[in-house]
Amino acid sequence: MKRAIASLLIPVFFLLTGCGTAEAQEQFFTMDTVMSITVYGKGAAEAASAARQEVEALNAKLSRTEADSLISQLNAHAGDGTAVDMDGDTLELLTFAKSVSQLLPGCFDITIAPVMDAWGFTGEERHVPDDDTLAAAMALVDSDKLLIDEAAGTARLETAGMSVDLGAVAKGWAAARAEAVLREAGVTSALLDLGRNITAVGPKTDGTAWRVGVADPEDDSQYLCIVSLEDQTASTSGGYERWFEEDGVRYHHIIDPKTGYPADSGLKSVTVISSNHLLADALSTTLFVAGPEAALDFWRSRDDFELVLCTDQGQLLVTEGLEAGFEFRGEELGYDCQIVRR
Amino acid sequence: MSISLRRLTRCAVLTALALALSVAEGLVPLTIIFPLPGLRLGLANLVTVYALCRLSGREALLILIARCLLGSLLGGNLMALAFSLTGGLLALAVMALLLRLSCLSLFGVSIAGAAAHNTGQILAAMVVLGGTAPLVYLPPLLFCSLVTGAVTGGVSILLVHRVPALGDIKS
Amino acid sequence: MTARSSAADRRRPTPWDFVVALIVAAAAVALLFLLKQESGNFLTATVVLDGETIAQYDLTALTGPVTLEVEDASYPLTIQAEPGRIRILESSCPGLDCVHTGWADRAGQQIICLPNRLVISLEGTSSGDIDAVTG
Repeated sequence: MKRAIASLLIPVFFLLTGCGTAEAQEQFFTMDTVMSITVYGKGAAEAASAARQEVEALNAKLSRTEADSLISQLNAHAGDGTAVDMDGDTLELLTFAKSVSQLLPGCFDITIAPVMDAWGFTGEERHVPDDDTLAAAMALVDSDKLLIDEAAGTARLETAGMSVDLGAVAKGWAAARAEAVLREAGVTSALLDLGRNITAVGPKTDGTAWRVGVADPEDDSQYLCIVSLEDQTASTSGGYERWFEEDGVRYHHIIDPKTGYPADSGLKSVTVISSNHLLADALSTTLFVAGPEAALDFWRSRDDFELVLCTDQGQLLVTEGLEAGFEFRGEELGYDCQIVRR
Repeated sequence: MSISLRRLTRCAVLTALALALSVAEGLVPLTIIFPLPGLRLGLANLVTVYALCRLSGREALLILIARCLLGSLLGGNLMALAFSLTGGLLALAVMALLLRLSCLSLFGVSIAGAAAHNTGQILAAMVVLGGTAPLVYLPPLLFCSLVTGAVTGGVSILLVHRVPALGDIKS
Repeated sequence: MTARSSAADRRRPTPWDFVVALIVAAAAVALLFLLKQESGNFLTATVVLDGETIAQYDLTALTGPVTLEVEDASYPLTIQAEPGRIRILESSCPGLDCVHTGWADRAGQQIICLPNRLVISLEGTSSGDIDAVTG
C-alpha cells in the first residue's frame, strides 16, 4: 500500500522538479577516478559533453598509464638524455608542480612515482616494500632532476628509472580547463565533481552559493561540516581514501617524500578551498604531508586559499575566511571545531 | 430490576459482545490483503456507536475500557492495550462530539471515528517506540479508514434502528 | 434517559458525510506530503557497471538483506543491500577501497569500485541540504 502510494507520487515529484531550468549531467571514468559534470541552463547538454571531452583529452596527455601520453614519453626517456617535446599545457603543469615542491620543501614531489610503484599503489597488489626496494625507489625521487626548457618546449628526466606522476595536480588542472570550456559555452552555473574534488562554477541557479559537505574520514556517510562555494574548488586529501592493512597496520596512499612511508603528520584529512582550482588540488596533498602546524603557518603566509583540517585528535580546524556560510556538523560524531585566525 | 442492576447487565452484555467481535475480527485479518500494521475492520467500534446512540457517553466509556482491558488480558499484550485504548478513547471522543451534529449520519460519524482510532493508535505507537517512524503508516491507514468506517457506519445504522434500546426490552 | 442525537436517527448518508470523508482523505494526503518532505523515506540504489545499469534497489521497500553477485565485472564482487543501506560486501579487486567504504545510507552517497568501473549511487527525496561531498 505504502509502496503503491509512493509510486503514484514519485512521478508527481519529478514533474514538479522537472519544470525548473535545463540540467545535464555527464558521469565518466578518467584520471583513475570517477568524475561527474553537472551543468544548468540553456545548452547544458552540449556544454557538459564538451567539458567531458576536454578532461578526457587532458587525461590522454597527462596520464602515466596511457602508453602514448606525453608523460609516458617523458618517463620512457628518463636518463637517456633525450629532451622530450611537451605541449604548452603539460609544460605549464610540470613547472607549477615543481614550484609547489619549493613552496613546502619535502612535502610534495611529482617524481614520487617509483615509490608509489614500490608500495603497489599503482598496480595490482599493495604491500609494504622491503628496505632495499624502497631505498632504491627513494633514490629516484627528486624533482630537481626534472629539467624543463621552456624556450625549447621540452622536458627531460636526468636519471634512468625516474618517473613523473601528475596525479596530485591533474584534477585541479582539469577543473580549470573544464570551467574555461563551460564559460566559453555561456554556462553560468555548474558543479564539477572530479574524483570528489568539487568545483563550483558560479552560484546555483537560484543565486545562492553551493553547499558542499566535507566527509568524515571515519564514516563516509557523515559530514564534518558544510562549506559554501562559489567559483571555487574544494579539494580533500586523506589517508582513508586508499589504504591496505598488513600485519594489523594500516598503510595509506599519501607517501611522504622525505621518508618514503605513508605520511603521519597528525592529520586525518585536509580540505583546501580556493578560487585557484589547480592550487587547491596540489595543496591538499602537500599540506596533508606537512601536518597541521606547517599547514596553518603556510596559510598565514598567503591569502589565496582557506583550510579545513581534521586532526588525529578529532579536532576540526577551520580558517577564518570560511566562516560565512560555514556549518559544523561533527559535534555528534565526537569532533571539536575551532576557527583559526591569522 | 433496579436501575443500576439493569445498567450493569446491559453494560456487561455489550462488553461481552464487543469482545466477541474483536476476537471474531482477529480470525479474518485484513492485514493478509493489505500488509499494513494496525489495519482492522473495527467491528468492536460498532458497540461504541451503539452505546453512544442508545445509552450514554459514560456507559460507552465504561464498555470501551472494560473491553480493552479484557481484550489485552486475553491477548496477553500490554503494548496492544496502549494502542487500542488510545485509539478507542480518541474515537469515542470524536464520535460523541460528531453525534451532536444533526447534519451528519452514522456514516460520517463512523468514518471520523475510524480515522480517530487510527490516529490514536499511531500516536500511542510513537510514544511507545519513541520516534516518528510509525507516522509513515498513518496516511494509508487513514485511506483505509474511509472504507472500514463506511462499512461499520452502514452496519451501525442497521443495528441502531433494528435493535431496540436495551432499556425497552422489558416493556 | 438516552440522549437521542440527530445523527443517529438518519438512515441515509448526507452530503456532510462526504465532507467528513474528504477531510480525512485530505489529512492523509497532506500528511503524506509532509512526511515525504521531512524524512524523504525513499532511497534507491542504482548499480552501474561500466556505464550500464545492472541493478536497482528500493532500499526503503526492502524487508530483508539481498545480495548481488556481480560475476561479469573484471574483478567479481558481491553487493549487499539491506533495508535503508547498501555496501560492497567483498570484492576481488586490488586495493579493496570499495569494501573499505562500508555502508552507504544517505541520498547522494556513492560507493565506487574503480578497477571495476562500478558505481553504486544512492538517490532519494532527501538528498539533504547539500549539493556535493568532498573527501
